[in-house]
Formats: sequence, structure tokens, C-alpha cells
Amino acid sequence: MSQPPRTDEADVLRRAAEVGLIIDPAFVAAVAQHLTGLMAAVSVVDGFPLPESTEPAPSFEP
Amino acid sequence: MLQEQALADAEAIDRRRAAGQDPGPLAGVPFAAKNLFDIAGITTVAGSKIHADRPAAARDATAVARLRAAGAILVGALNMDEYAYGFTTENTHYGATRNPHDLSRIAGGSSGGSAAAVAGGLVPLALGTDTNGSIRVPAALCGVFGLKPTFGRVSRAGVVPLAWSFDHVGPFARDVADLALAFDTIAGPDSTDPACATRAPVPCVPALARGVDGLRIALLGGHFARLATDDALAAARRAASALGVRREVTLPEAQRARAAAQVITACEAGAYHLERLRARAADFDPMTRDRLLAAALLPATAYVRAQRFRAWFRACVANVFAETDVLLAPTTPWTAPAIGAPWFTRIGDTEVPTRGHLGVFTQPLSFIGLPVISVPLSTAGSLPLGVQLIAAPFNEATLFRVAARLEAEGVVASRVVRAPTV
Repeated sequence: MSQPPRTDEADVLRRAAEVGLIIDPAFVAAVAQHLTGLMAAVSVVDGFPLPESTEPAPSFEP
Repeated sequence: MLQEQALADAEAIDRRRAAGQDPGPLAGVPFAAKNLFDIAGITTVAGSKIHADRPAAARDATAVARLRAAGAILVGALNMDEYAYGFTTENTHYGATRNPHDLSRIAGGSSGGSAAAVAGGLVPLALGTDTNGSIRVPAALCGVFGLKPTFGRVSRAGVVPLAWSFDHVGPFARDVADLALAFDTIAGPDSTDPACATRAPVPCVPALARGVDGLRIALLGGHFARLATDDALAAARRAASALGVRREVTLPEAQRARAAAQVITACEAGAYHLERLRARAADFDPMTRDRLLAAALLPATAYVRAQRFRAWFRACVANVFAETDVLLAPTTPWTAPAIGAPWFTRIGDTEVPTRGHLGVFTQPLSFIGLPVISVPLSTAGSLPLGVQLIAAPFNEATLFRVAARLEAEGVVASRVVRAPTV
């Protein structure tokens, strides 16, 4: 399982724009660091070969 | 502090007694609640500056109301990590909650105020919440008992959410009997909480005297025996030895479960706070702000895959519980770090985040809503350590049987700091 690329500040700003977030320039570097850590966790989960039939844990009852 | 209301409640208890009425099983027992819980007449600040601007709560959270209905006296609301997104209760707005056993150290979090209030002898009972370890971690670091019940066993109505998939409500107490009584009082269906289980609770107080004969108990290895101090690992082995445990089992992919818990927590917390992050990011606690901003940027595919992995992990662990009734594991990887400790800590050859790593042993378990009691080891050094007792869903009574045995044999006991007498 390869490590995900480090999330840089430009990536943070691009993602933030997609969700309508304007991040103070003073916070961007720290956000990039935390997002790198979270994406590492995402990569760990992605690395597991889940059976295709596995549904998400929460189920909806109408 | 709720001095006037507490005195009024106490007077009401006295009137009920004088009238020959049953004042309730917790009559006159003082308790406090993490300031994440609605308390009628005061604002639920949730450890934040932003929520402090809100109007007072109209009614008590269900768990608070149930304790009060049993006669307990609510005396105050307690400090926490902002929006419960932390393991340390180093709150920039309201100050750090200090560990009663060493005031230079953290009490743990996010229910640090709750654990410290019990450990400091301020109240015998407190309410907290646990999403990834926020009852168990402070209970262990402060040397008291803490219960994270089965997911959905205790109503979350009137509690500010962190992550809907993992939020649990539970008690802290100085001994097993108090913990069981508090749990029996707050557990049970609540139609105002959509995630609350409808099945009737199994009373735990009657289970305390049943002993542990016939229970299949094992020590967790693998993920739960790594990246921790020798003392923390020895704590779990000490409890296992006292119970005559000889078997060790492994939960498959526990480290991956922890990663998935982090992803789901972040996605749900980021989504919940998105409007506030858009409008008032600068008013968040710097200890949580940048983490929540990052959380709000995660892709939806990551969230869905983590929830799918959760279903897989739940099924695997259910197979483990087909052969075992109770599992044991350390609660935390080390004793309480200093307030303001460095961001990273080296354990062996590995550098880990000092604060985040406090959840290394708790997160894989709350990930699938298992009931866990953190019991304080009586033979820990100058700083407390805890051990997790873990069961299959809705088997809190089984956990209390084990906790009661360990307490009766002196293996576990609260360490309550008494104020020096003059």
C-alpha cells in the first residue's frame, strides 16, 4: 500500500472552494498538515479488498 | 455551577422524604455533566465560544433528566475539548482541565472535566460522552471507572453531536456499584433519539454478585499489544492474570478499523460544523479548528468506503465473540502526558501524535459500538492506568460481573484525590 501524496496548500484551497469554505491564509498550512494525516487514514482503508457485496454499516428504514 | 438549583432540588428531595414518598434510588447524590449535555436554563457551550452565544436549553438532555428523576442532584456543567473533538481537554477558551493526580498533566478528554470531577472528589457521579474514547481515556488517566455503553443503549437526546455514527453517552463513578446504578438509571429506549435502541435494558446492579464462573475471557493481542509503554501493557496483563486468563486473541484489521473510525469521525464532524466553519472559523479553538477544516475537505468516497469497512469489521468481531464473552485491553498507551506536551512522542522506533495516539486502543472498539468499561488499575504507579473490559453488544451486565470481581479482589480501585484537611 503506497502512501498518499502530501496534501499541499494549493490542494487545500481548491478543495475548500469546492465546499464553499474560505480558509484564512494563516490556517492553510496547518490544515494541509492535518488533511495529509486524514488522507493517510483514507489510504489505509482504501488498501483493504472489501467484498463488492459489502454494504455500508448504517441502514435506512423508511 | 448550579448552586441555587441544586439546593432547590435537595430541598425537594427532603420534602418528598418527609411526605413518605420514595425520593428515588439516587436521592441526594450530587452529579455533574459535561457541558455537551443540555441543562435546562443554561446555555450548552460544548466547550466552545460559538455555542456560548446560543440561548439557554429549554429542557434537560434525557440522560440528565433520568438521573434527576432518580433523585440525583445536578451541581454543575463540566469542561471538555471543544465540540468533543479531542482526547486532552486542553481548551483554549476555558482553560485546560488538570489531572487531580498531577496538576501539570492532562485529565484526558474529551470528557476531561467529568473524569477529573470524580477523581478530585467533587462529585461521585458524572456524565460524559465517548465517540472514539472520550469517556474511557479520561477515566483511565484520572484513575476512575468509566462506561461507554453499547451504541444506542443510552439516549443521546439533548447532547451536541460530534459524529452520529459513534457518539455514546455514559457515566463515570468511583466504584463499580455506583457505575452500575448510574447506567441502570440512564439506559433504555427514548423515542426522541432516533439512534436509541428499542430493546429493554438488562439491569446491571443485580449482576454484580454473579461472579465470573463460566465466562470465557481473553486478552487482546496484536494491535492492542503494540506502541504503548511497558506499564500500560502490563496493566492489561495484570487484570488478565487476576482473572486466570490464559488465552490471547486478535481482532483482525484493528489498525485499519482505527483509521476508518478517524475518517468517519472527521467526515461527520466536518459536515456538522461546515456552516460554522464558513461563518466563524476564527472563533474555533485552535486545538480543533484546523482539524475540523481539514475534516470538511474529505471526499465522500472515503466516507462510504469507511462505512463499508465498518460492516465488514463488525461481522469479523462478532465471530470473535462467538468464542469469547469478555476481552481485555489497555485503555491508553501511556499515563497522562503533560499539559502542552510536544505534538509528537517517540515510542520505540515510531513517532506518533501525542494526543491522537491516546485513542489507539479505544477507537477500534467504539468503531463498532461495543460496550466497554475502563477500570482503574490499583497497582499503577504514581499516575493512573486503566484496562478496557469489552463485550459483545448489549452485554453490559457481563462486563459488570468482571469489573465487580476485579474490584472485590483489589485489582482495580478508583484513586480519588482528597483535599488536604487543615
